[in-house]
Amino acid sequence: MPDSGFPWPIETTRLDNGLRVVVSEDRTAPAVAVNLWYDVGSRHEPAGQTGFAHLFEHLMFEGSVNVAKTEHMKLIQGAGGSLNATTNPDRTNYFETVPAEHLELALWLEADRMGGLVPALTQETLDNQRDVVKNERRQRYENVPYGDAWLRLLPLLYPPGHPYHHATIGSMADLNAADLATFQAFHTTYYAPNNAVLTVAGDAPAAEVFALADKYFGGLAPRPDIPAAPDGRTVPATGRPAVETVTADVPAPRVYLAHRTHPFGATGYDVTTVLATVLGSGRGSRLYQRLADGERIAQPDLIGAYGVDLAHAPAPLIATATARPGVTADRLRDGLAEVVDELATVPVTAAELDRAKALLSTSWWRQMSTVDGRADTLGRYATQFGDPARAADRLPGWLAVTAEQIAEQAAELLGAADRVILTYLPEETS
Amino acid sequence: MTLIATRPGPGAARAYRFPQVVRRTVAGGRVVAAHLPGQNLAVALLLLDGGAGREPVGKEGLGAVLAKALEEGTAHRDATTYALAIEALGTELVTGLDWDSFQVSVQVPVDRLSAAVELMAEAVRTPRLDPADVLRVRDDEATALRMDWANPGPRADAVLRADLFGVEHRWGRPLYGDPDSVAALEADDVTVFHSEWFIRPGTLIVAGDLERIDLDALGAAAFVGTGGGPVDRGGPIEVPLADRRRIILVDRPGSVQSTLRLGHPSPHRGHPDHVPMTLAGTVLGGAFTSRLNHLIREVRGYTYGIRGDFASSRRFGRFAVSSGVQTAVTAPALVESVGEVSRTRETGVTEEELEVARSWRAGQLSVELQSPRAIASALTTLVVHDLPDDYHATLREALLAATAEEVSAAAATHLHPEALTLVVEGDAAVIRDELVAADLGEVVDHA
Repeated sequence: MPDSGFPWPIETTRLDNGLRVVVSEDRTAPAVAVNLWYDVGSRHEPAGQTGFAHLFEHLMFEGSVNVAKTEHMKLIQGAGGSLNATTNPDRTNYFETVPAEHLELALWLEADRMGGLVPALTQETLDNQRDVVKNERRQRYENVPYGDAWLRLLPLLYPPGHPYHHATIGSMADLNAADLATFQAFHTTYYAPNNAVLTVAGDAPAAEVFALADKYFGGLAPRPDIPAAPDGRTVPATGRPAVETVTADVPAPRVYLAHRTHPFGATGYDVTTVLATVLGSGRGSRLYQRLADGERIAQPDLIGAYGVDLAHAPAPLIATATARPGVTADRLRDGLAEVVDELATVPVTAAELDRAKALLSTSWWRQMSTVDGRADTLGRYATQFGDPARAADRLPGWLAVTAEQIAEQAAELLGAADRVILTYLPEETS
Repeated sequence: MTLIATRPGPGAARAYRFPQVVRRTVAGGRVVAAHLPGQNLAVALLLLDGGAGREPVGKEGLGAVLAKALEEGTAHRDATTYALAIEALGTELVTGLDWDSFQVSVQVPVDRLSAAVELMAEAVRTPRLDPADVLRVRDDEATALRMDWANPGPRADAVLRADLFGVEHRWGRPLYGDPDSVAALEADDVTVFHSEWFIRPGTLIVAGDLERIDLDALGAAAFVGTGGGPVDRGGPIEVPLADRRRIILVDRPGSVQSTLRLGHPSPHRGHPDHVPMTLAGTVLGGAFTSRLNHLIREVRGYTYGIRGDFASSRRFGRFAVSSGVQTAVTAPALVESVGEVSRTRETGVTEEELEVARSWRAGQLSVELQSPRAIASALTTLVVHDLPDDYHATLREALLAATAEEVSAAAATHLHPEALTLVVEGDAAVIRDELVAADLGEVVDHA
C-alpha cells in the first residue's frame, strides 16, 4: 500500500507579485502540462450576476493585448497542444498540454491574458460569447431530459445568499443583462497574479520554469484587496427535508437524494468519498446490488452515488436512480432512501470497504497517469489548501477510512430531516 | 502592467517516440504490448473479431447485450460474487464495441494485473448466459436505449446512417442497434453469437511496465480454452454517393435547439488518401480553430460547438458534420455549413491553416498518448488495421510532410457538398418553412 499518492518531485516558488508557481518534473514523455487555477468561481457572483465567472472564462480565449481574437486556440493547436478551461462554483482553471518545446509559448499566452485582457475586450466579443454560452445552456441543461437536475438541486441544498445556491451556468436573464464594464471590472478584480497558481508538470526542469514564469508573469501588478466570496461553511439545518417534484418530458421516473456533507479536503469528506463508493460505484455497490439487481426496480446503467468535490462549504453527496418500466417513482424513492438509511444501521463489511478503496486507488492513479492530471491536482491543492504537497495525502486519507466512520457520518448527516429529494415524473401520455 | 509583446518561438524539439512494442504468440493467441517504464497503472484489453459488423441484419444490438450479459455470472461464480471479485482488484470490466472489433478491458495497479486478466477471461470465455438473465439484460438494454433515444442525436444519427448506407445492410443501421431491434433479440441469438466469436483467441493488448508484467502468463490466462482460427474480414465496400442533396426533417416538438447531422459516404480506413483526408477534415471541422467552428460558433454565435470529420472503419467510411444550433437560426446555420464544405472542396486549404492542422495532429501524438488506456487504444489500432510497430512515428512524419496541394486535392476528391444528406432533428412546425425556403434541397419528413 503506498504511503504517498504523489511520488513525483514538487518544487514551488512565489514571485514577488504573489503568483505561486508549482513544478513537477517528469521527463518520461516530451510533453508538458501548464495549468492555471484562479481562485474565483460562481461562488463569488452577487445576485443578478449569475453565470458571469463562466462567461468570463469564454472571454479569456478571445484575445488580449498581444494576442489577436481566436489566436490563442490557433497557436496552441498549431503547436500540437490540447487546451481547455472549466469553471465551477469554487474556481476557474485554464490548461494546455503541449510538446515540451512549446512551454514558453504557453506561458506567454497565459501571462498575456492574465495581465492584458481588459484593453482587448470588446462589446462585439462579449455579445458573441454570450450567445455561445446561451447555446451551451440550451444544449447541456434545457434540451436534454433531466438536464436541469443540478440547477434544481443546488437551491434545494443551499439557501438564498449561500455561495453555492446558484449554478455556475447562470440564468438567461442575468446573462442577457451582462454589460461590458462589469466584465472589465471582473477581470481587474480577480485575474491578478496573487489570486492564481501556475502549475507546470512534465518535461521541464523547475529552475527553467521558475525563470520563465518570472520573465512572463513577473511584471504583472498584484491586487491588494481581492474581495472574498461569502462564507458558506455553515448551512443552518431546517429540520425538514427539501422536496421537489417535477413533471417533464422525461422517459422514466428518476429520483435524486442529496445531502450536505463536509468540505472537500476535510477528513470528513474522505469519509464521504469512500461512503459514496460503497453506496453507489460499480456493480458491487449497495445501490446496484439492492435496487438494480436484487429488487430490480432501477435501471442498471443509471444508478449511482457520488460526492461533488467542492471545498468552500459542506459538499453535496448525491444518490440517484431511474425507474425500470412499470416501477413508480414512490417505490423507487422509498427503495433508494432505504439503502441510504441503512448506511447508518447496517455496518459496512471489510469486503465492501476493500472494494471501495481498490476502486478509489485505481481512480487516483488514473488521474496521476498523465501530466495534465498531475498539474490539475497540484494546482487544486496549492489553491485550496495552500500547499501542493498535500495532494499526496488524499489517497492515504481514503485508505484510512473505517467502517465505523462511515456509520457515524451516515447517522450524523444522512438523516431524513437533512435530505433533499428531487423527483422527475414523465408527463402523462395518451 | 508589463507584458512581453514578442511571442516566443519553440525551443529545441525533443524526439517523439512511441513506447517499445512487444509482439508474441502465446497459447494460440497473439499478445501485443507496450512498455511504459515506471507506470504504476496497467491496462489489459482483449480484442476480439466480434464487432457490430459481425451482427446479422435484424439482430442489431447483439454485441451490446452480450457485453452486459458477460457480467451476469460465469461458470465459476454468480454475478454478485463476480462483481465483488473484480471490483476488489480496483477495476470494472469495461466493454467496447465498434464496427471492426469487440473489446473488453481492465485497468488496475500493475501488481493486480494478472488476477484481473484471469477474471476478465473467465467472463469472456465462460459466461453463464442463463437465458432468464440474458432476457433481463436484453430488456434493460432496450430500456437504456429508449432513455438514450429520448435525447437529441441518436435518432438523427440513425436517419443519416440509413440514408447513407441503406437499411438493408448492417452498416446502414445503428452501431448499438435501436430500442426495437434489441427488444426483439432472443436468448439463443446471444449464446450463438458468443460461441461464434468469443471463444476464438483474439489478441491481448497490454500497456504497462513490462518489467513488472509476465506477458506469457497473461496470454495463457487470456487464451485458455479457446479455439478456432481467424475468419476472413471482408474487403472495402463500395458505397454510392447520392445523386442529389436533400434535407430529412426529424420532428422533435418543443426542441429549443435543432440537431444537425450532415453527411455522405467516404473511403475506408486503408485508403491511400487517409492522411491528406484527415488533414482536410481537420481544417474544415476537426479542431476548435477549424472553418466550421470559427464561422458558426465564433463569428455567428449560432452554437456551442460544431465539428466535421472523416471517420472510417476497415470496410467503409463517412464524412459528417454535427452540431446543435438554436432553433431560430437552423436554416442559416445549415446554409453556411454547406457553404464551408463547398468552399473547402472548391478552393482547398491555405498553407497557414494546414500548418496549424498538421502540427496539431502530429503534436497530439505526444500529448495524448500518455495514459495506459490511451496507449492500449493505439495498440488496438495497430492490430485492427494491420499496421507496423512504427506506425505512429511514421504517421507523425506523414502528417508533417503533407503539402497544401495534396490536402486540397483530397478535399476536392472526397468532399461532396452536392451529395450531402442534411438531417435536421428539431421542432418541425417551427423550422419546416424556413428549410424549404433555404433551397438547399428537397425537404422530406422522416416517418
